[in-house]
Amino acid sequence: MEYELGFALRNAWLILAIPFLSFLLVGLLVRPLSEKAAGIIATLAVFASAAFAYAMAAEFLTLGAATGWKTFVPWSFEWLRFQERMAVHIGVLVDPISILLLVVVTTVSSLVHLYSLGYMHGEAGFGRYFTFLNLFTFSMLGLVTAPNLLQMFVCWELVGASSFCLIGFYFDRPSAVAASKKAFIVTRFADLGFLLGILILGYFGYQVAGEVGGTRQAFDFLFLTDPVVMGKLNAIGAGILGIPVLTLALCLVYMGGAGKSAMFPLHVWLPDAMEGPTPVSALIHAATMVVAGVYLVARLFPLFATSGDALLVVGYIGAFTALFAAVIACTQDDIKRVLAYSTLSQLGYMMFALGVASVEHPLGYTASMFHLFTHAFFKALLFLGAGSVIHAVHSNEIWRMGGLRRKMPVTHLTFAIATLAIAGIWPFAGFFSKDEVLAAALGSGHYGIFGIGLLVAGITAFYMSRIYFAAFWGGARTEGASHAHESPVIMLIPLVVLAVLSVVAGFFPIGEFVRFGAGHGAPHGINPAIAAAGTFAGVLGIGLAWAIYGSGGTARAEALARAFGGAYTVVRRKFYVDELYLFVTHKIIVRFVAAPIAWFDRAIVDGGVNLSAKGGRLFGFALGSLQTGQVQAYGSWFAGGAVLLVLVLWGLQ
Amino acid sequence: MIEQLATMAPGPLHWLVLTALLFAIGTYGILTRRNAVGVLMAVELALNSGALNFVVFNRYVAPAGVDGQIMSIFVIAVAAAEVVVGMAIFVVLFRHRQTVDVTRMNRIRD
Amino acid sequence: MNGQAASTVFFYVFAAVSVALAVATVISRRILRAAVALMGVLATSAAFYVMLDAEFLAGVQILVYVGGIVILLVYAVMLTRSSELIEDRPSGRRRGAALAVSTLFFVAAAGAFVASRFETLRPGALTVSGTTEIGRRLLDQGSTGYVLPFELISLLLLSVLIGGVVIARTNPDKGEDAK
Repeated sequence: MEYELGFALRNAWLILAIPFLSFLLVGLLVRPLSEKAAGIIATLAVFASAAFAYAMAAEFLTLGAATGWKTFVPWSFEWLRFQERMAVHIGVLVDPISILLLVVVTTVSSLVHLYSLGYMHGEAGFGRYFTFLNLFTFSMLGLVTAPNLLQMFVCWELVGASSFCLIGFYFDRPSAVAASKKAFIVTRFADLGFLLGILILGYFGYQVAGEVGGTRQAFDFLFLTDPVVMGKLNAIGAGILGIPVLTLALCLVYMGGAGKSAMFPLHVWLPDAMEGPTPVSALIHAATMVVAGVYLVARLFPLFATSGDALLVVGYIGAFTALFAAVIACTQDDIKRVLAYSTLSQLGYMMFALGVASVEHPLGYTASMFHLFTHAFFKALLFLGAGSVIHAVHSNEIWRMGGLRRKMPVTHLTFAIATLAIAGIWPFAGFFSKDEVLAAALGSGHYGIFGIGLLVAGITAFYMSRIYFAAFWGGARTEGASHAHESPVIMLIPLVVLAVLSVVAGFFPIGEFVRFGAGHGAPHGINPAIAAAGTFAGVLGIGLAWAIYGSGGTARAEALARAFGGAYTVVRRKFYVDELYLFVTHKIIVRFVAAPIAWFDRAIVDGGVNLSAKGGRLFGFALGSLQTGQVQAYGSWFAGGAVLLVLVLWGLQ
Repeated sequence: MIEQLATMAPGPLHWLVLTALLFAIGTYGILTRRNAVGVLMAVELALNSGALNFVVFNRYVAPAGVDGQIMSIFVIAVAAAEVVVGMAIFVVLFRHRQTVDVTRMNRIRD
Repeated sequence: MNGQAASTVFFYVFAAVSVALAVATVISRRILRAAVALMGVLATSAAFYVMLDAEFLAGVQILVYVGGIVILLVYAVMLTRSSELIEDRPSGRRRGAALAVSTLFFVAAAGAFVASRFETLRPGALTVSGTTEIGRRLLDQGSTGYVLPFELISLLLLSVLIGGVVIARTNPDKGEDAK
């Protein structure tokens, strides 16, 4: 590196060290002494990380213009060495998207920490909550800055584990426990694919590394995305069932990403994960962890682009999930569930944006990262706003709210901004990123996906306006809603900050540095036709919602539900995907796989153990009868044994 | 028969077989005697065969010295010491349990 | 029959007597009879010492072993109960096991002796009488002397003397020891 690095980049390890040390400090030392201090220290530490991330970003931005946004690893150390060219480093990788994610993660995380100080006030386990929140932040930063697949995988699992702890935060509620287990098992199942993908990539990567030479390690992203290496990997050809090795490996890796980012059909855990405290939903299940899958695909995007088929899979699954989740969101009554399905839908947006991108049309790559960036802010804002409402009304049901417009002015205003942002109305952030995603889909010739995207934009505007009108307009429908009060200031500050970000994030010239392919530039302009179509869809959705829900009554909504009849029920029951999972797991897997294994375990494995125990017991009884307590009996054994030993040794000579 | 025996002058092997036999008999006594004093007598038997062994080796392997004999003197001294302590223990034991039958000394089992 | 032949015959006769008495020592049910037999074994051992040119040792054997130790043993028998004078026969199992072990030992030892050759490592003869040499060596402070073990043995005997008294005496404070 011929360029002078600034303080932050030279000490990049701090970005991992600060939250990790804070996690240890808070979890082990402070929490037992004072829950309150634990929360405050954790929050301060995350703010420090955020400041450090901004410093890194600032230095990278000044540096990047000169170096052409090169990827580099300012700090790393060797952790495991399997072989030459197959060592695993722990380190910090710096490139435009990792910097982008660093900023997003630390910003949202610090705001959520601050918000939680108010939201979780007086809850049992206050310190535990902040401990896990810190652990999560550390894991997420480690994931984002991972310079190789294995560090990413380790942090990936850490993220999953801390998510498990936070979803199950109210571990005295059976539903929360079930949700945390579900989230962990589903994502863990997906991670099996990720691990297999890593192993395949590592195996062939190691072979290629041997051919190419050099000092790069097989798992490093810098190695895997090297053009020469990618060419060689792509040339390996048919692997299993005629699928090329690279495509297979990438599909497996994508399976991990799909699990984390809750793509269909692995999406079932995310809506249930709303059992966790609402700020957790905002941080983990809206803004940061669930975008890890998108980030993973973006991180390996050069490889995906080399193998076009894997990218098509990503694109179509993303588009389907976007539509599927958006439809379900229209029928849910739980405000957090609507937001969860909305998150699924938006993640589908990011995924299909990546899917439509290619070497020739790289705009989708930029668009996806851009949407990730803006979505993080307005979705976190929506969740925190919802949390504020829930905090005031003590219910998640939108039909138990109503008329909160005047009682909670700040929450109302910020929630409205977020709704407009996600609906894609100018000048809010969602408008720009959604426009770019749609432009990418159209520009690359994926008209079907473009159509779905446009449709989803309309549906999104509809269901978001639906909960907005239901919660804030009309009259109070319940006692709780009529006695609602505005939340404390400490919860409002993050709302306001995020609202500001939701407005201005769209103007951030992200295309200047997040782009794929050096020569193509970044067309970050507004395409008037697409912008008009997107805005039209959004306005249509809002208008429809106003027509049905604007009055605050539920009569029209119920009439509409009756009109749709069976279709409505199917959608409301989330297309019976959960029931299908239950059928497959209970009726098929349990009966035909688990039951025989359980029998085998009980009869053969346990039986073997019991048999050896019985044998030992019998042997023990036999030996015990020799323990007569008679010194002379012992003496006989001793003397006879000693003589026999002498004879044996003599015989051996 | 005596004439025949007279031609077989005892060498180290004969002596050693004799001491081994005495030792084996002593072992048998140690392992079977029920009276503790009887056990001690058998121990003396075995010790005596050991002392005899020293002298045998002294006589046949290093006749120019008396080291084996000195060892035997030590063995006798240790045997005397052992008998004294053993006797004291037996007296106490008898006072406690009214018997010196070693087969009834099996409280280690419990 | 010359002197050599006579001593050979003596050896076998004494050996037979010694073994017979030893067997009597270990199998006699009457403990006093066993003590007398033991006395006999030790006396024949004294004869063996004479045959092995260890006259001093023979004297020590008679004085210390036969005269001291065995008498002590007899006293010990007397101090216990009269019912202890006749011993119950040990169980057949115990006797079988002991016979097997001692036979095994004897076979192993004899086999080892037969398989070994015993060479005279330091040939020659004593220039002075054995008794003189023993006395000199026991008090010799040089590298071949045994003065240190000699002193240690005297310490051992002293401590045994004291220990025996301490163990065997009744505690005057508690009267009979707690049962």
